[in-house]
Amino acid sequence: MITRRHATALLGAPFIIPARAFAQGPAATPRPGGELVFGLDGAAVASFILDPHDSGFAPHNRVFRSIYDSLVVLKPDQSVGPWLATSWEIAPDRKSYTFKLRTDVTFHDGTKFDAEAVKVNLDRVARRTGRPLTAQIDIGPYEGTDVLAPDTVRVRLSEPFTPLLRSLSKTTLGIISPAALAKHGDAIAQNPIGSGPFRFVSLVQGVEIKLERNPDYRWAPQGAAHQGPAHLERLTFKNVPEESTRVAAVQSRQVHAADGIPPQNVVSLKSNPSFRVLEKELLNLNYTLYLNSRKTPWDDEEIRQAFRLSLDLDAAVRVIYLGTTPRAWAPLSPSIFASAEKQLAGSWKPDLERAKQILDAKGWKPGARGIREKDGKRLTVSFADTQGNREKRLDVIQFIRRQIARSGFDLSIDSQPNATYRQKLTDGDFDLSGASQFAPDPDVLSRLHLPDGRTPASVAKTDDAEISQWLRDGQREGDVEKREELYVNVQRKLVEKVLAIPVYVLLYTIATTDQVQGLTIDTHGFPEFHGAWLKG
Amino acid sequence: MRFVLHRLAAAALVVFGTVTLIFAALYLLPGDPAVLVAGENATEESIARIRELLGTDRPFWAQYADYLAGLAQGDLGMSFATQEPVTVRLWAQFPSTIALTLFASVVAMVAGVLLGIVAAVNRGGWIDHAIQSVMLFFTSMPSFWLGILLILLFSVTLQWLPAIGSGSFAQLILPMACLGLVASGRLMRMVRNSVLDVLDEQFVVTARAKGMPHRLVLFRHVLRNALIPVVTLLGILVGELLSGAVVVETLFARQGIGRLLVDAVGVKDIPVIQGAVLLASISFVLINLLVDLSYSVIDPRVRAEG
Repeated sequence: MITRRHATALLGAPFIIPARAFAQGPAATPRPGGELVFGLDGAAVASFILDPHDSGFAPHNRVFRSIYDSLVVLKPDQSVGPWLATSWEIAPDRKSYTFKLRTDVTFHDGTKFDAEAVKVNLDRVARRTGRPLTAQIDIGPYEGTDVLAPDTVRVRLSEPFTPLLRSLSKTTLGIISPAALAKHGDAIAQNPIGSGPFRFVSLVQGVEIKLERNPDYRWAPQGAAHQGPAHLERLTFKNVPEESTRVAAVQSRQVHAADGIPPQNVVSLKSNPSFRVLEKELLNLNYTLYLNSRKTPWDDEEIRQAFRLSLDLDAAVRVIYLGTTPRAWAPLSPSIFASAEKQLAGSWKPDLERAKQILDAKGWKPGARGIREKDGKRLTVSFADTQGNREKRLDVIQFIRRQIARSGFDLSIDSQPNATYRQKLTDGDFDLSGASQFAPDPDVLSRLHLPDGRTPASVAKTDDAEISQWLRDGQREGDVEKREELYVNVQRKLVEKVLAIPVYVLLYTIATTDQVQGLTIDTHGFPEFHGAWLKG
Repeated sequence: MRFVLHRLAAAALVVFGTVTLIFAALYLLPGDPAVLVAGENATEESIARIRELLGTDRPFWAQYADYLAGLAQGDLGMSFATQEPVTVRLWAQFPSTIALTLFASVVAMVAGVLLGIVAAVNRGGWIDHAIQSVMLFFTSMPSFWLGILLILLFSVTLQWLPAIGSGSFAQLILPMACLGLVASGRLMRMVRNSVLDVLDEQFVVTARAKGMPHRLVLFRHVLRNALIPVVTLLGILVGELLSGAVVVETLFARQGIGRLLVDAVGVKDIPVIQGAVLLASISFVLINLLVDLSYSVIDPRVRAEG
């Protein structure tokens, strides 16, 4: 007889079972109290911006989830569920959303969450005066909010914008106390006040952020692993920018947990029973390489093909990430709604000979040191970069550099401070660059590939009438299946025309000591400390 | 007195030169700070408004004159990125860097001077060779790599010392050892050579010949004379330690001016870069001024000539 266990084995274990799930035995009773210290992969920044509306920087957003709640929550099946909003109705013209709100929620400063708070927050995000906030793009064609009753608001749009609900689940649209906003203005970034499971205590710029339990917290979203106030008494984030130090801090138990664990340590920590590794795909526009399609010779699709045919990304990702992270085929990471990962898997193969033929036919002939030349110009590829070896990206580029040298490309890395880098992207003064962007909705593609939907410093320079139309339709389309088809089309064409070369799927990783229990990663791929506790 | 005044004037000139040079370099560097401050979704209009707000729309000379005028009143301006006064941002970070630099120079000095003397006295012996090889190891090692090794040994394996943070003295030990040991190698060689030179001098031979105890010769005659070139090196060393702090602060997740500077360069936060460089150059010039002045204490000849 085939038991369930056998069946699972036969099916190739479709579930990923946490490595230590069995060793823990029956669920232990959570122990309240204590301080959890978390080593944050926060990069060498000297200023923390704890204003959810004003930071798209992922490490800061990992802190936001503990301080701020959102109107809705993203569920594991990628649908949107209630949180501070208990229900909503979308008008037939799909240009207004009416939300019913919880009435039992208070902010950390004691003021009540209500319809007016929603209005103040959304109006702020959309503000037309002063410096625009980074979250502005998340609310699309926002027109205004009407307070219909203390527990009812209507959000109006100038045209339908389907990504809105998923956007509202993002940390970037976390709800701030209006009283605190009135008091601090943009200095809220150093005085964060939300309604989340932890409240702000103090921060040392660039070094640490101290939070403490919000004893009144009783509004975790349905389906959360834990309800009621957090178990932990205190939660401290320490910014440890250097990866080897971060891992050492976990190994020596100076921190209870840390994120951004490099592949070599993921492998060794997994095999050590004193530690645990949590991994989850970050909902992300995968790290993708973009050839500057506005500049010769990259404006020629066949040259772009020749470049890609010279790449062996399977090998690059396997060697650099030691098998800890999958190679990406589609621009959108596999779990995002409308990712074309399945459709695009195996859609192209490296073919060095074909690459050489194309280049020969296009008049690029091998010259000195095997580098191809045409009309006295060498086939150089300048890779513009500003983030250094974050997530081992420069290691990947170095690997690729050797691969494409075999067909006669000469790649060099042009590392620049952020300001110069962005100037170069704006001026189109680069051949190749790469980027990723966390996002829960496929509309993130329009931030790169829609000419009037992206910033001048965008790394992608796609300008394709069909893709633009699909992206615009995707923003308005209400039918789930039709919408999925639109984005799958976009991704297909981007890959087919080599306007995007997805590289790897980022798994967000946390290593913890065996003392840490109940720490989870939410659907977006951000850490949740609400249900975490420390074993005695 | 004239000597001191002369030195002070020279020091002021150096600081002024540095500030001007950095200002010009930042001005010429590509990238518009207003675009970075404005963020991803900014319109041309809001960028123009921010440019006006920051004052970066004015010509180079106007900005430079304004900066100097502010500087004369001790006003370093506002950070472009956070809109806080630059002095506030600097003072939040500076004490940590000062502590690191000072204690690292103590490590460098103690290790460098002591081992240098021991090596010189045992010239050619196995102790000399051992010291020289170990020191060569430290000198040739990037502080980054040495830091990782120290963390692995003292923090992960032995679990004696914390690897991260700034605040307590325990947290300072590994970073100061890392920075100090890398610097101590050169100091050791300098001390060794300079002691050896003095050991061969006529007056040392004379002192020994008249039966003065070995130890007394070493401390009263040899060290005092050997110290002068070492003190010079120390001035340069503090500068090196200040710049080395950038790497070490990041590695050990410490607060500090180095990290602030890297961050500010990334977003082209000109007032903060200016402020950090100003502070570093003043510290550097001040240390070297002290070094110059200390010559006259160690060596009366300088006083006489000055």
